[in-house]
Amino acid sequence: MEEASKISRYLYTVIILFLIWLFLTASTDAQELEMGLVLSLIIGALTYPIFTTRGLANLHPKRVAYAVAYAPYFLWAMIMANLDVAYRVLHPARPIRPGIVHCKTVLKTNPGKLALANSITLTPGTITLDVDDDDYFIHWIWVPDEALTENEEEHVKAASRNITEPFEKFLKVIFG
Amino acid sequence: MLKRSLAIITILIIGYWLAQSLAGVPFGEDKMLVGQYYLDHVKDQTGAVNAVTAIVVNYRGFDTLGEVTVLFIASTGVGALLWRKRKKRTAKTEGSVVLTTGSELLFPFVVLFGSYIFIHGHLTPGGGFPGGATIATAFLLLYMAFVSYEIPHKAFEKTEGLAGMGYVLVGLTGLAIGGYFLFDWIWQTWQWGTGNIGRLFSGGFIPIIYTLIGIKVGTELSGIIDNMLKEEVRE
Repeated sequence: MEEASKISRYLYTVIILFLIWLFLTASTDAQELEMGLVLSLIIGALTYPIFTTRGLANLHPKRVAYAVAYAPYFLWAMIMANLDVAYRVLHPARPIRPGIVHCKTVLKTNPGKLALANSITLTPGTITLDVDDDDYFIHWIWVPDEALTENEEEHVKAASRNITEPFEKFLKVIFG
Repeated sequence: MLKRSLAIITILIIGYWLAQSLAGVPFGEDKMLVGQYYLDHVKDQTGAVNAVTAIVVNYRGFDTLGEVTVLFIASTGVGALLWRKRKKRTAKTEGSVVLTTGSELLFPFVVLFGSYIFIHGHLTPGGGFPGGATIATAFLLLYMAFVSYEIPHKAFEKTEGLAGMGYVLVGLTGLAIGGYFLFDWIWQTWQWGTGNIGRLFSGGFIPIIYTLIGIKVGTELSGIIDNMLKEEVRE
């Protein structure tokens, strides 16, 4: 992936740090704002090479809109998955069929892969064990029948459709 | 067995002895002598809302200078004990993409939060030492996630020294203006920030000293981490 220019990466880091400062202080006192700006400029200068590779392109309106929409979508997925696990724990027969499955992702950037891995882990029932390029190895609480196949290709397809694809339609736009 | 039971008996005797002496101190009663003075005068004498930082930096600034010195000696001591001619990181396993990207994204936030803690030392709990430790944690994060990460040594050592000297210089300026070491000249002489106690730009020299301490502690602890994570390389 191509790197954005230094100025763009620096500005993006400063903007994000300043937003964090606003949340942290929860105050619009002029003194707090001045100090926040100064600190964002200094810390941004020291940390931007580590923080970002794409710079201001991250703030494309479409990406921001998808990121905002992703929050409730993800929360809903999380609530449903929690209820599902609670059902499995409380059910007398304990319908658990654990297994490690292999998924593939279409995401290319590292932040995207991180977001996907965390989304998978935070929805109970699935835990990301390892990420290797575009391969995800995931521990699943109930491996459905369609993924229980000897055929590697079918297996990956079935697992990806169930685990990674629901998140990917958002993350693909947010992180590319 | 005999050794262990003897040790347990000794500890019980010491514990009983300490409990006996503490039983004479009543709990929850107003025993403040100096403490009441601090609480009554902290705002108009130092400008700080946080009484703890006012005592630590302003009323008893010498203690803090001593603590900073202790930390500096600890860092130098670790450096001297682990001194080798050729040192290298010898970690073998690279972290997964989740770990490395996660620490990359967290790094600026942790540094910002550390600065937030030491800048607000006179208003909220915290101050230079927790803030500096938080900043060092950010560097620990990078050390843990990446096999070959190293702090920029030259810059770090110089910043550490300059921050320490800055602390002493603030104290010496107080000596020149007010007549004794660590005299709060910004508050007492300049009256700077007296109008807005409780807002950010107040508190006399406490924020300035805590910024210096935060930078010093942050770079120092990062240096200790760096020293401890490296191993000797044999040809």
